[in-house]
Amino acid sequence: MRDRLFITTMLLPSMVLLVLFYGYPIFDNLRISFTDLSLLGMKKGGNWVGLANYRELFHSGEFNHILFNTFIWLTATSVVLRLLFGLGIALLLNTRAMRVLRLAAVSRFALLIPWATPPIVAVVIWRFLLERNGFVNDALIGLGLISQPIAFLADIRTVWPSIVLIMLWNTVPLIALSLLSSLQTVPEEYYEAAELDGATSWQTFRFVTLPFLMPAILVLGLMSVFWSFNNFVYVWLATGAGPGTFTNVLATEVYLKAFVDFRLGYSSAIGMVMAVVMGAFGILYLRLVAQRQLEETL
Amino acid sequence: MLKLLAAGLIASAAIVGTAGIAAADPVTITFRFNDTEQEVRGAIDEFQKQNPDIKVELQRIGWKDARNQFLREAAVGQGPDVAHVAQVWVTEMGDAGATLALDDFLQKDPPPNGFADFAAQDLAHGKDGKIYGLPWTTDTWAMVYRTDLLKEAGIDSLPTTWEDMRKDSEAVYKKTGKAGFGFPAGSSASGAMWFLANFYWWSEGKALIVQKQDGSYALGLEPADVVAAMNYYKQYMDGGDNPQSNLAASDAHDPAIMQALVSGNQAMGAMPPNTYKEILKAYADANPGKEPPFASGPFPHQPDTKSSMIGGRMLVINANTKHPDEAWKFVKYMASQGVFANFYRTQFPAQNSLLKQIDFGAPLKGFAEQFPFARTWGAYASGPVPIGTLWNATQRAFGKALSGQVSTEDAAKELLAEIGKQMP
Repeated sequence: MRDRLFITTMLLPSMVLLVLFYGYPIFDNLRISFTDLSLLGMKKGGNWVGLANYRELFHSGEFNHILFNTFIWLTATSVVLRLLFGLGIALLLNTRAMRVLRLAAVSRFALLIPWATPPIVAVVIWRFLLERNGFVNDALIGLGLISQPIAFLADIRTVWPSIVLIMLWNTVPLIALSLLSSLQTVPEEYYEAAELDGATSWQTFRFVTLPFLMPAILVLGLMSVFWSFNNFVYVWLATGAGPGTFTNVLATEVYLKAFVDFRLGYSSAIGMVMAVVMGAFGILYLRLVAQRQLEETL
Repeated sequence: MLKLLAAGLIASAAIVGTAGIAAADPVTITFRFNDTEQEVRGAIDEFQKQNPDIKVELQRIGWKDARNQFLREAAVGQGPDVAHVAQVWVTEMGDAGATLALDDFLQKDPPPNGFADFAAQDLAHGKDGKIYGLPWTTDTWAMVYRTDLLKEAGIDSLPTTWEDMRKDSEAVYKKTGKAGFGFPAGSSASGAMWFLANFYWWSEGKALIVQKQDGSYALGLEPADVVAAMNYYKQYMDGGDNPQSNLAASDAHDPAIMQALVSGNQAMGAMPPNTYKEILKAYADANPGKEPPFASGPFPHQPDTKSSMIGGRMLVINANTKHPDEAWKFVKYMASQGVFANFYRTQFPAQNSLLKQIDFGAPLKGFAEQFPFARTWGAYASGPVPIGTLWNATQRAFGKALSGQVSTEDAAKELLAEIGKQMP
């Protein structure tokens, strides 16, 4: 009983801060989502409209399209590819050949460059590379692969892969370096034992390496979901949610409704939907990762 | 005792002295300007020289964020004293209580030729009839042509109909391999398709938003009108005379478009005069001594219709300013003849008396010809749907149609439904 009181007392300041800086804004956002508050009417406030904003959102013709973009392109595709490329690079950097050729340190340093590049700068660099007279078009034309420049960020056939490419360039290094650290914790004896048992390379990877990496992959995967699902910068700066609304995602829709259409109430409703989805992922994270860590600690 | 008295006297003198210095401190007002600093730096320095009791602190912000930022700040008692805003924002800013009514200032201390001398006065009023902005600069859009490319394609006169414009564009592309009418077809919320779409509708005597005789507002277009405009611009994309990559460009001053005109890789463009001036300058820098092969001309129109807008900027005073008199003094100064004659030469003044004195010169002849066939945004700005919403919805709908995401019919229906939903 005394321990419980002590723990509660120690946690109290953090709880107060959480309530002040997270709880209050969330509840205020929830309140605004039930009003028709406009950016032009901030001085007088909004009128209570109940669930009207939510009804409009769920019945909007664009909603399914925005959800698809957010879940499939922005989140699922980018997270899966990020993990696959990250794992591939980590395995490559961990090979004996890289160590023998003394390339491991150089490669790690090279990986840090895209990772240390702020997303805004990364998007601007890639916009230059992908534009009509940019390096990518020039190179493809030079190699004879295309005859006319491709509008990578405007053509509906190439725009999503281009955005995902920018995201990967900027974020894969972190995944790769994290997985590389995990790889280096796998005891060498396990590999020796696998070799003695006659395991193939694939079997060694499947039954020795992967189990060691799984906790890291799980954490990085879930964190990537959080970073991607809420992300605004890559889509907004690369395409402005266009062409048309082709690359519109929940985060850009929040911005468009709040600061282009001035509908803060409606925009808050979208924000609440995003918060609920993120909350679900948060619970998953707690169940899969945090709970395990807590059990290990105790 | 004497020592104490002396110390007291010294302290009093010090306090009085400090107060004297404080009284001499200039009042600082902030001016938020949305274009380049060098355009107004000279004018501000001159103002401070003439008014040593007022210090002007220049803040800069991009046009894309200017309106939202100002509204957000004004709602919580913050923001610059004077702000540079688009003409079409003034009504809604006044209605939001973000800006100060200027009626008293205009009555007590008016500009030399009075408020009646200013263009776009209708856009300066709030719905309560008060004046919330002083028109500062004005401009219009017109067409710009590379005469050498037109000649190479066998075209010897500028087009006067939309059909001829398309034919000329196609001819340039087919005969020279260069882009014809290269317009920014991107769908950014504040892009240029909005202008081109409206110019097309206006030239046909129609408008997206109209005010009825009883003062109420309505949609002025049928789906077929929207489809016609979309199909018109889409043929440039489908025909290849406007490169597909221009789907990624949203502004008239997009570097790809400006560069294509300067280097002779594009024959036709649509833009405001300051962008055209930049193109002329870039050409002159790259080709010293050579006659620039450019001409400007109005957008196609009928004798009784308009085909471009009287656009421009206004200056507003923040409702939260603590120095309204100094702010007004600065606003009045910035709209004066001396500023436009000596410092702010990239824009045209909004006062009709000053506008008449301008020699547009041969390259800008088309802009001068366009002015009589230009209109203000009128009902668009005073109507019930924020102009930013109309702009964004139009951009998105055209973006969807031009990129082939949906058919022009579906995009047109969606656009009118989206705006119709927000009409009372």
